[in-house]
Amino acid sequence: MGPLRGRKVNPDLIFAIGTALTWFGWFFALASVWKLVAVFNSIEFERPRAIRSLAISAALAGALLLVGGGMLPPLKESGLWRLPLFWPVMPFSAWLIILGGIMLASRLFAAWMAADREEHDLKLRQSAGWALLIFASISWYASDQTSKITSLTGGIRFAPSVAVGLLLFLVVAVAAMALASRATASRGVSRNVVTQIALITGSIIFAVPFVYALSTSLKEDRDMSSPNGIVWIPKVQVTVPFLDKENPLYETAYRNQTVQGSVIQQGADGTVTVDIFKPLSVRGLTFITQREKLKEIPKDALVFSGKWSDGQTIKGFVVTDLEDGRKKLRVTDPAALKDKEATFEPAQLEPVRVDGARWQNYGDALSYMPPETNGGLVYLKNTLILVILGVVGTIISSSLVAYAFSRMQFPGRNALFSVLLATMMLPGAVTLLPQFLIFRSLGWIDTLYPLWVPAFFGSAFNIFLLRQFFMGIPMELEDASKIDGCTYLRSFWSVMLPQIKPALAVIAIWTFMGAWNNFMGPLIYINSPENMPLSYALQLFQGDRTGEPGLLMAFCVMTMLPVLGVFFFLQKYFIEGVTLSGLGGR
Amino acid sequence: MKVQRWLLAALGCALATLGVAQAPKKRDLIIWGISIGADSKGQDAVIREFERRNPEVNVRILSMGAGSMDPQKLMTSIVGNVAPDVINQDRFTISDWASRGTFQSLDELIERDKADPLAPKQSQYYDAPWKEATYDGKVYAIPTSADNRILYWNKAIFNEKAKELRAAGLDPNRAPRTWSELLAYNKALTEFNKDGSLKRAGFIPNFGNAWLYIYGFMNNAEFMSADGRKCTLNTPAAEEALQYMIDGYEVVGGYEKAKSFESGFLGNENDAFVIGKVAMKIDGDWILNGLSRYAPQIQLGAAPPPVPDDRYNKTGRFANEKDTFITWFGGFSLAIPRGARNAEDGWKYIKFATSTEGRMLDYAAQREWERRRGRAFIPRMLGSREANEEAFRRFAPADKKFADALSMHIEMAAFGRVRPATFVGQTLWSEHVRAMESALYKKSSPRDALAASEKTVQRELDAFYNKENYPIVDLSIPAYIGLAVVGLLLTGAAIYFSRLKLGRLARGEAIWAYIFIAPWLIGFLVLTVGPMVASLFFSFTQYDVLNEARWVGLKNFQDMFGSDRDLVLKALGNAAYLAAVGVPLGLATGLAVALLLNTAQTGMRIYRTFFYVPAIVPSVASAVLWTWVLTPDANKGLINAAWRATLTDWLSVPPPAWLQSADWSKNALILMGLWGAGSGMVLWLAGLKGVSGSLYEAASLDGASPRKQFWSVTFPMLSPIIFFNSVMGFIGAMQEFDRMYVMKPAGNGPVGPDDSMLTPVYHLFRNGFAFFKMGYASSLAWMIFAIILALTFTQFKLAPRWVHYEAEK
Repeated sequence: MGPLRGRKVNPDLIFAIGTALTWFGWFFALASVWKLVAVFNSIEFERPRAIRSLAISAALAGALLLVGGGMLPPLKESGLWRLPLFWPVMPFSAWLIILGGIMLASRLFAAWMAADREEHDLKLRQSAGWALLIFASISWYASDQTSKITSLTGGIRFAPSVAVGLLLFLVVAVAAMALASRATASRGVSRNVVTQIALITGSIIFAVPFVYALSTSLKEDRDMSSPNGIVWIPKVQVTVPFLDKENPLYETAYRNQTVQGSVIQQGADGTVTVDIFKPLSVRGLTFITQREKLKEIPKDALVFSGKWSDGQTIKGFVVTDLEDGRKKLRVTDPAALKDKEATFEPAQLEPVRVDGARWQNYGDALSYMPPETNGGLVYLKNTLILVILGVVGTIISSSLVAYAFSRMQFPGRNALFSVLLATMMLPGAVTLLPQFLIFRSLGWIDTLYPLWVPAFFGSAFNIFLLRQFFMGIPMELEDASKIDGCTYLRSFWSVMLPQIKPALAVIAIWTFMGAWNNFMGPLIYINSPENMPLSYALQLFQGDRTGEPGLLMAFCVMTMLPVLGVFFFLQKYFIEGVTLSGLGGR
Repeated sequence: MKVQRWLLAALGCALATLGVAQAPKKRDLIIWGISIGADSKGQDAVIREFERRNPEVNVRILSMGAGSMDPQKLMTSIVGNVAPDVINQDRFTISDWASRGTFQSLDELIERDKADPLAPKQSQYYDAPWKEATYDGKVYAIPTSADNRILYWNKAIFNEKAKELRAAGLDPNRAPRTWSELLAYNKALTEFNKDGSLKRAGFIPNFGNAWLYIYGFMNNAEFMSADGRKCTLNTPAAEEALQYMIDGYEVVGGYEKAKSFESGFLGNENDAFVIGKVAMKIDGDWILNGLSRYAPQIQLGAAPPPVPDDRYNKTGRFANEKDTFITWFGGFSLAIPRGARNAEDGWKYIKFATSTEGRMLDYAAQREWERRRGRAFIPRMLGSREANEEAFRRFAPADKKFADALSMHIEMAAFGRVRPATFVGQTLWSEHVRAMESALYKKSSPRDALAASEKTVQRELDAFYNKENYPIVDLSIPAYIGLAVVGLLLTGAAIYFSRLKLGRLARGEAIWAYIFIAPWLIGFLVLTVGPMVASLFFSFTQYDVLNEARWVGLKNFQDMFGSDRDLVLKALGNAAYLAAVGVPLGLATGLAVALLLNTAQTGMRIYRTFFYVPAIVPSVASAVLWTWVLTPDANKGLINAAWRATLTDWLSVPPPAWLQSADWSKNALILMGLWGAGSGMVLWLAGLKGVSGSLYEAASLDGASPRKQFWSVTFPMLSPIIFFNSVMGFIGAMQEFDRMYVMKPAGNGPVGPDDSMLTPVYHLFRNGFAFFKMGYASSLAWMIFAIILALTFTQFKLAPRWVHYEAEK
């Protein structure tokens, strides 16, 4: 675009206007399609109006696209259309000025349109506020020396295939909308579409951290902080099986587990000393075994690509890692150089990688656990003990106490019940330290007892909640059982308890979550890995393996899975539980 | 006859039991603080050899948990009578532990085994490490490693930037020697990305292992007075050193930017120094093994850490100074905690592991292992001169650059200072970190930060020296009081019960009822009333469980609002911020999603699951995950990747450093909380279902717009939920702990940048279980209780003014 009125106009501004016009043009083009559908759907006497509006929008679309396109720089490459993109890069203050300007204009317009004096004044007051903001932003903008406005310009070029695909998509979408608009009131449908889109977006946002965790747990360490941004699709380095004759790898058994290792010493009597390489938990241990118990297995040799001496690119796998850091490669590709060997500096080599998950992270994470935890199973066992005992204890004790408070007459009942309600307010912090001293004097430090025994003494909130439920059961039911000669225990167990099963399920789930999540308790009471539950183990693992994020995320995913599994089966009770707790038993 | 047969059987049983008992059973020797991993082959060899020589002993290494050496865990185990037999302890804390009577003195054992060639002798050791392990003239631990810090520089980067360096008048072929040179090199080597983040840092003052200590020592700062009674953290020399660190960080764009940059660093072959993201760093000799393993080709340079210009030029204050270069010593030592069940074997192990023979065994095995994997082995520096000399004779690295670096460490050992050996060593360390961070985050001036920390350390010192002023109290008193209260209650109840004229049936029912409520009643008396009485009593004492309690009256409460006021107020302020910003945001998010779900015609259950799942993720797992999600480095952290792609690109707003920033860390926690807003959403959904449709009908008949309907019908009908949740939110924020513990940077320093993640309960936990100040922690507990009580009552009093309860109509 040439100079206007003899003065050179900022090309970015022209691009911006051109972009806006083109977008409006496309909008009207879409509107024309929509109106075309409306023409066919309209009733007889509405048709002329529909056709008129179709013509207007089509004409507008054409004009806008032409003018807008004319203002944009001509297309250099082939391709019919493009969607120009323009984005001003400016400091925050400038955005505030624009926002203020728009709001000021809209308020002033509203004031002008106002129905009564009161509204008029209100809108004027609001516009004054916006004007103030604009003023402040302008002074901010002026005061900031570094601020300058630049812009990003570009465009999405439509290759023919993209264009056809988009067109098809549009046609299908419009057809679907047209069909829908015949079935229901169009307003409801459009609203529902908007709601659904919002919900889907929200669900995606809420799910992204999970996807991130999963993808991180399957990545190689080098991809954790790649200069190209977050790597979403994990890649793994290619390996080839390699029977190393010089330094063979063997598989054998050590203390009932299969291990891989290399022979470091040959005894005279057919015994050999094996240095364990895998699993990680016993890596570096050496032990003596019989020669015939060894089975030679291929190594997983890493594949790299590099430049051969004549300049051609080769691929090969590592035969030996030399002490000074260089690697000896055996060529696999191209065929002409196959099986030749050469030594490379590490900087000359590029790992050969393909899309793929590094499942090994999960195995490694487990084998990094201390040996006495049996690959982390002990953690799971401890957590399960806490969960099961906690749930059983809470349910038995709380329901018994709640039953007594709701259905039995005894002196001091109301006084005791108010005491119970009062304890609901007591923060755990107050009793934390003395409880530690009590458990210490019992010799319970570094055992699981302090974590589950208190559950058998009932919890105030659960008792309160269950009492409400017991109160809701008709008296007649219990009276009948008493007439039948039931003892209190019997009528509690066989008549009353079955009536409040849903409430018990909810309490069980709370206790389950509480016990599974309990972190401060183990942190205070547990020292040795044999007694450690998952939550604490995960925290320690985090501190232990800062260098290997893949392993950490793998462990993290593994601790999440059981809870998520339980949730998907018992979703109903989880949701009910929230409702009960949040409404305070209302 | 019959009797005889019984007797015979019993005898047989007894014999059988004896027989079992006599079968050789190995004694467990529990060692903490030693990391066993894939690469600690030398350690394994020492343990195996020890077991071979002492076949009756079974060594158990705790590699995780308490084994990973958290002072809180060690203290809990000693207090809880489950102490390990040997502990590998950071040496500068030995005095601290010894002063509390938590470690056993080793003098008698050393004296007894004088003749044993393995037994440690003072003459074998360097002076500094040996002295560091003594307290009050007694030896409490035997030094193992001794590390000092030097300046490492990457020659490849210096070459690459030779032009820039020359332009700045600097020699690219050597490392900086003075503070001002270091700043100039730093400036010339540092590069920034287009978006303002760091591309390469020349030198990050506290990356590696430097701390304020090294700059302070160089500037002749002393952190304790000679008699150990005064903390002298706040001196002009220390202040100047801290100011120098601030200046150094200024070059790389400030502390927060450097922290963001560091958050993207990885380990091993992707180490920041190896791949050239950092050109120079001050670090210890432990990095050499890693470098030789993962980056044998690195163009490594080693130099003494740069010193103040005046010291280098011997002018000004330093005119008469003998030493030009200065470093500081650290290292570990093996000790036996009080209450160790197998102290004798523990001592045997210490003797073997610290002996020259044991050390050489360790190195030989480690070298063999590295050799088999094609790696060079580099020995670590030791506290024993004898072992060190032997090691360097036998294991000197062949590679010149590593040999040079190692000899630089050995040379610098002559100029090594140690952290003051004081019984407040741990506190002094934490407080020095707190002051340093506070000044680097520019939350206070170096002088104010140092003064505040000095005050805290001094309080510890005074408490120790003044404890004789307070009378010892018998702790059975609260126990008796508790028992008396319970007894009185029970007698009262019994009298009341016996006076009642109950029928036979009613009596039976009452007895059954008491049996039914017994679990709660017992729990209430033992786990609630008793502890409450005890806690109240403790709050007037100074008590660390191991030593006798002393009655200090109201001192704890005075401290809370006196010397410890800053931290207490900070903790309360953090909780208030989390509640005031986080709770409404969480409620609003939940409500927004619920309103959307409520209008959705289909798929409601599926969406509900999606939104609710994050709320049930185990808290530690979600904290671990979010530590990653919130990583400031936009190539690693999810949030900042999204931020950079949108806000930075469009509005040029740089992404915040989240958990690494004192101003943003709480917002980070709030953001994380929003992810778990699903439980709130379910609540709202239930509430919305409960609002009767007739109300909306009436409203729309009156011509109310949807917005008006929301504010006039929906909102009031939901007010009980809003009310209940805001009360619970405030109370919950006071007691938050798990997330903060997991997400704060490791170590015993501040909780989050400048303590921005400290909550009241966290403060209580630290005082109670990390420092075992039971008395002070109890007074904190009562303050928390008082605030919660007050909050609850005011809210319930205020509630009727605006909360709408359906039932009232």
